[in-house]
Amino acid sequence: MAERYLAELTKIRDAVRQDLLGGRINLLLGWEKGHYWWQSRPLFAEDEKDLERLTWDSFCAVNLSRYLLDELKDYQKIGVLVKGCDSRAFNRLLQDNMIARERVVLYGLPCPGMLDYSLLTAVAGVAPEGIDEENGRVVLKTVAGEKTVERDQLLLYKCRDCLYPDPVVYDQLLLIPRGAKEAPERYKSVTALEELPADERYAYWDKELSRCLRCYACRQACPYCSCRECFVEQDKPRWQGRAYQASENFLFHLVRAYHGAGRCIDCGECQRACPVVIPLQELNRKLIKDLNELYGQFEAGLNAELEPPLLTYKPNDPAAFSEK
Amino acid sequence: MPAALNEKIAGWEPLVVAFCCNWCSYAGGDLAGTSRLSYPANVKVIRVPCSGRLNPMFVLRAFQRGADGVLVAGCHPGDCHYSTGNYHSRRRLSSFKRLVEFAGFEPDRFEVRWISSSEGDKFADEMEAITGRIKALGPNRKMRDARWQSVT
Repeated sequence: MAERYLAELTKIRDAVRQDLLGGRINLLLGWEKGHYWWQSRPLFAEDEKDLERLTWDSFCAVNLSRYLLDELKDYQKIGVLVKGCDSRAFNRLLQDNMIARERVVLYGLPCPGMLDYSLLTAVAGVAPEGIDEENGRVVLKTVAGEKTVERDQLLLYKCRDCLYPDPVVYDQLLLIPRGAKEAPERYKSVTALEELPADERYAYWDKELSRCLRCYACRQACPYCSCRECFVEQDKPRWQGRAYQASENFLFHLVRAYHGAGRCIDCGECQRACPVVIPLQELNRKLIKDLNELYGQFEAGLNAELEPPLLTYKPNDPAAFSEK
Repeated sequence: MPAALNEKIAGWEPLVVAFCCNWCSYAGGDLAGTSRLSYPANVKVIRVPCSGRLNPMFVLRAFQRGADGVLVAGCHPGDCHYSTGNYHSRRRLSSFKRLVEFAGFEPDRFEVRWISSSEGDKFADEMEAITGRIKALGPNRKMRDARWQSVT
């Protein structure tokens, strides 16, 4: 692990240890190393012993805010480590009245962007055995030797066009802020798809969605999918059929995306969680792009006080259909 | 995608599902009837309390189960029986229409129109127009349930 991460981890651990042992929080949501070196899974730390497993590296992509929904049932007060996207997810849940602000302590971690293991493997040619990081470069260590690559080229898809690496809401900021970023290519793939003829676009989605296993991992990972009963499991009426066919896949993905219209924070957890790599962020971004064009610039999750565009209206709104 | 997706079949007639708001468009349809105006029988009207009642899944379900085109008709903005229902549906359906087009539907497959209860002639004209456009497009096979069978 890079020196920088070690120094940062010490800082994080010191801060949360004080609160956890002092009783300010009963549980800390963080990350620990998973089965493989390139996995950092959620850590649920109750005491000092658990805190020893806490980690902070380039693979802490899991959005921890979502876990609050379950954990707040069992713990009175919870501390969460939040990156930029996690903090906007927190705002999302706050705005949906799913969590109480006073029962959560947020530790802000400005995020360098997380790495994608599949890209590491693709770039290295073989599965790397470890990495080293220094000054915006990643050294991939493989059996065949070492290879140095720019860090930006190895980022997760969701991190490539990140606008807000710094937490937008926190009680304590533990690391140095990185400042807002620019993402000129955020809508690039959406625009490319929009320019295709309708039939080709249908063929594209037919192909992409045909891989869908309907495992609903995208929903489980998503901070806006917080309904206690989801339409896919509803029996009366049964909206979502169980059959494996294009029709049902389209229904699920269009409705899943549409439920996030004006609410999606574009954290990309759905796409990261997808085991068959369906480009779900294109559907989400299409909705964000359209709503921004039609009803004014709005970034969900930035400010929990601002009303999402589909919960409000103006009498002179434009429409995407003829109003004559 | 098979090229036969929109292929025309001899004797095919389009099926258009029109979701009409109870207070304006459905009454507009009534007026068209009492005024003895005719419009194509391809249009099947489903009455909803308000265009804001429309769950986007209604539209997708219609496409799954045989509709070649879907029309949503509601009161003109400002005339909603519930004051603000159609202001909300204007935003919702605008973004939903764009999403449906993004998924690969032709823009004419899903339309929204404002038709008031005094616009019987407009109701008949719009139904005529959408049926004509769907006829020109051909049958819709996108998002069609594989188990669905045409009754015509």
